[in-house]
Amino acid sequence: MNVAVITDNLGYLLAGAWPDGPVGGLMLTLILSGASGLASAVLGLLLGIALAMSGGRTRRALILGLGLFRAVPIVMLIFWSYFLLPILFGFTIPETGTVVTALSLVGGAYLSYAVAAGIESIGRGQWEAGLALGFGRWQVLRVIILPRALPAMAPSFVNQWTALIKDTSLAYVIGVPELSFVATQVNNRAMVYPAEIFLFVGAVYGCLCLAVDRLATLVTRQRRLPRAGRT
Amino acid sequence: MSLFGDLLAPRYLIWLLQGFGVTLALSASVCVAGTALGLALCCLRETGGRFAEAGTAAFVGLIRNTPLLVQLFFWYFGAAALMPVGLTAWLNSPHSLALGPADLRWPAYETLAGFFGLTLYAAAYIAEECRAGLNGVRPAQREAALALGLTDLQVFRHIALPQALQIAWLPVVGQYLNTIKNTSLTMTIGLAELSYASREVETETFLAFQAFGIATLLYVGAVAAVETAGHAVARRDPAGAARR
Repeated sequence: MNVAVITDNLGYLLAGAWPDGPVGGLMLTLILSGASGLASAVLGLLLGIALAMSGGRTRRALILGLGLFRAVPIVMLIFWSYFLLPILFGFTIPETGTVVTALSLVGGAYLSYAVAAGIESIGRGQWEAGLALGFGRWQVLRVIILPRALPAMAPSFVNQWTALIKDTSLAYVIGVPELSFVATQVNNRAMVYPAEIFLFVGAVYGCLCLAVDRLATLVTRQRRLPRAGRT
Repeated sequence: MSLFGDLLAPRYLIWLLQGFGVTLALSASVCVAGTALGLALCCLRETGGRFAEAGTAAFVGLIRNTPLLVQLFFWYFGAAALMPVGLTAWLNSPHSLALGPADLRWPAYETLAGFFGLTLYAAAYIAEECRAGLNGVRPAQREAALALGLTDLQVFRHIALPQALQIAWLPVVGQYLNTIKNTSLTMTIGLAELSYASREVETETFLAFQAFGIATLLYVGAVAAVETAGHAVARRDPAGAARR
């Protein structure tokens, strides 16, 4: 084991060329994860609500569209957004934007199923009670259903976020200098200690995933404890 | 460059189809090997004592919490450096296995690394699905079998495992679908599968829409076919369906 290859390149692995150049390495991985995590949560929530509230043809079209996103490898989706986004918007999008778009769409597609299932898991009686009180359908959803359904969905969101952290490594295929990409650069430069480099990078991703997981358990436990004490 | 411009020349279609063939062959072999290894891991974890349980749990956690891309890089670049020089040379040199009329050629190193990495990854997930299946078997079943005089191992083998496999079947099919999609990552270590081929065709022809479109359709077709087959198997098995 040779630790020098890690310590010598630590700055580059953590932040890329920054502050002299663009941000890279672990810092860019965090930025990509944060942005696509946030966007996929919003998208998943909206699509999931649409899926649960719609019926008939709209619902079938939604299921087909979401299924398509889940059937295609993320690498292909990154290629597609790399090629289509500039055509759609008429100007070049930075590669990081391309990756965030692709990852948000995939994450949103997966989350929408969890959100829809969470909404549908709330019993019909709750809906009927709300409607009987004179609420509209959307009011029932907002005031009665979502406050109960959202906490139950939390594990799905955490799972999807850890999956997203791992999937940001796919930005490699279009040359975005995130952690995996700079690791291969360091590997190509050093040539001699590939095992050490990739073990280190794997450990960094592992810590990130575990940290998100732990943080989520902590937050949900803190939320739940006072309520449990009252009842 | 127009969006729906020219059709792809036959030559490029053949590239894509060859890539698809590699994707299918790799996916199939990874699914077979990954299932076998996943089942073995699951059995080891459930019956092998505390040491085996901790070991398999650590392995599964390691595989599931790191990106597949980094794992593939590790097996492709890193493992070669860690292995004894003789073994690396042997793996890199061509061998042939004559099986009657068929003469199997030794795969290239990136194919071996890709197969190995994908198999470990799939096995870790399949082992977890099987464990969830085992946990889904009601404890009363085990007690009833023990009362009938079966040993612990017999209960596991004849009572718990068959039921667990029925519960775990559809989640395992989901892992097969993931495996098909995950093979696309092997393009990064130079394996000429479908994503790699579509990228090649795109850089040669500049017909991105056609190249990515055909590749996407092939992926969707393969995923849909395996999913349909998986559900058909689940439906033909009434005991499994009843429990769901």
